[in-house]
Amino acid sequence: MELDVRGEMCPYPAMKAREALGKLPAGECLEVLTDHAPALSTVPWEGAKLNYRSTIEPAGRGTWRIRLEPAEGKLDQKQALAEISRRAAELSKG
Amino acid sequence: MAVAEPAAPAPSLRERVPIKPLALGAAIVAVWLLLDQRGFAIGAFWLIGVAFGVILQRSRLCFAGAFRDLILLGDGRLFRAILIGLAVAAVGFVLLEARLAPNPGFGIAPAGPHIQPVGIATVVGGVLFGVGMVLAGGCVSGSLWRMGEGYVASWVAMAGIVAGTIVANRQWAWWYDNDIRERTAVWLPAELGGYPAALALTLAGLAALYIAVLWWESRTPKMPEFPAPPPEPAFGWRDQLRQGWEKVWGGHGWSYATGAIALAVVSVFALGLQVPLGVTGGISLWADNVLGWFNASALPLKGSELLAGCTPGGAEKWFTVRTATMLGLVAGAFTASMLSGEFRIRRPRQWSRYVQAGAGGLLMGYASVIAIGCTIGAFFSSIPSLALAGWVYGIALFGGAWIGVALIRRLP
Repeated sequence: MELDVRGEMCPYPAMKAREALGKLPAGECLEVLTDHAPALSTVPWEGAKLNYRSTIEPAGRGTWRIRLEPAEGKLDQKQALAEISRRAAELSKG
Repeated sequence: MAVAEPAAPAPSLRERVPIKPLALGAAIVAVWLLLDQRGFAIGAFWLIGVAFGVILQRSRLCFAGAFRDLILLGDGRLFRAILIGLAVAAVGFVLLEARLAPNPGFGIAPAGPHIQPVGIATVVGGVLFGVGMVLAGGCVSGSLWRMGEGYVASWVAMAGIVAGTIVANRQWAWWYDNDIRERTAVWLPAELGGYPAALALTLAGLAALYIAVLWWESRTPKMPEFPAPPPEPAFGWRDQLRQGWEKVWGGHGWSYATGAIALAVVSVFALGLQVPLGVTGGISLWADNVLGWFNASALPLKGSELLAGCTPGGAEKWFTVRTATMLGLVAGAFTASMLSGEFRIRRPRQWSRYVQAGAGGLLMGYASVIAIGCTIGAFFSSIPSLALAGWVYGIALFGGAWIGVALIRRLP
């Protein structure tokens, strides 16, 4: 499933991602398309709270595709947060 | 993301000569020289506005987000940063106020600081503003910096703000006669018998709030502040300079606390010159000046010459310290977003966002007139001025933001 939130700013990317994840059939992935840099940390964090792991790919200038997939087993939230913050810093640097 | 970099080609002229920063810098200086002709303070407030915009853009210091994320997500990082900024500003302000009015016991407050009357208008204004800023997704200064960053919805919010100030300027006399005129501009140093007690109480209040926010946050897992990436080793002064540049303008931005402290320092400078930071007075004045072309001006506001805060001042003047701040803010945010490569025209796809932005703007514009300021002028500049009004307005903002969050949860 794809969720296009381009043009939306905080808090809507995270709110909509949470809503979409709630409706997502078990085992499926969600792809969120955003051009709002803060969403690179807020969306993965909403995912982590619901036990989704995320990967981020650049999708054009200033646009990113965040892929949220269900994690196997229980995610360690502390570790997930550390990973999200490190990656968001890396992405916004490049 | 370790991607092997291709061998670097020979640097082009563009890379050797930083054209963009030079052009933007020259434009800022040129406008400063022009505004300086109208008075040193006006030129200086242009530069203060530019710094204001750069700080907000680089640190993404969003006052609406501070209240909203605390309520909606249990995330108090922005709110805590603003508390730190308020404490820094309070220390700076108290030094300046002590010079302006050495004997606060006489009860005569100095003229520059934002010490507004405390009344029904403060509470109603705070609540309306709180609802509006959450609906619109940014307060007045937030909308101004996002305008400079290319968010189209923020332009719509600004149209709403302008409309709101126009309506409120017409109803000002009613608010003034029925509420504002009767109210006291409570100034803590006069009430508590001196600056030390007033400062101590203000700092204690901020510290107590800080701890309360930490407690509130601890109920949900907390998102840490992003640590800055470790610097690469620097060889020679060119590398050092480049790294310094990258730190200021790079994609990682500044931390919220850095932004809030920088903003506090700028506000202290502004008060040292004349008045602390304020945004809405300038917007209100320009909106009214345009109406003046059609003989529909409502300024100056009744009794406003005796009121402190972010007032629009007299009519028929285009360049004041307030309008210079407003212009500088947009220019600074634009410059920062250009240098960091973040400028882009961004349009929400949902029509309802424009309606939200316009309606939220309308509420904020109205509220900022009756409460004599926005999140900046009546909150960030008012609490450090040791005014009770800033606290009352802040509590009302929180209540309004709460209602706003309940509203956006029900929106599509």
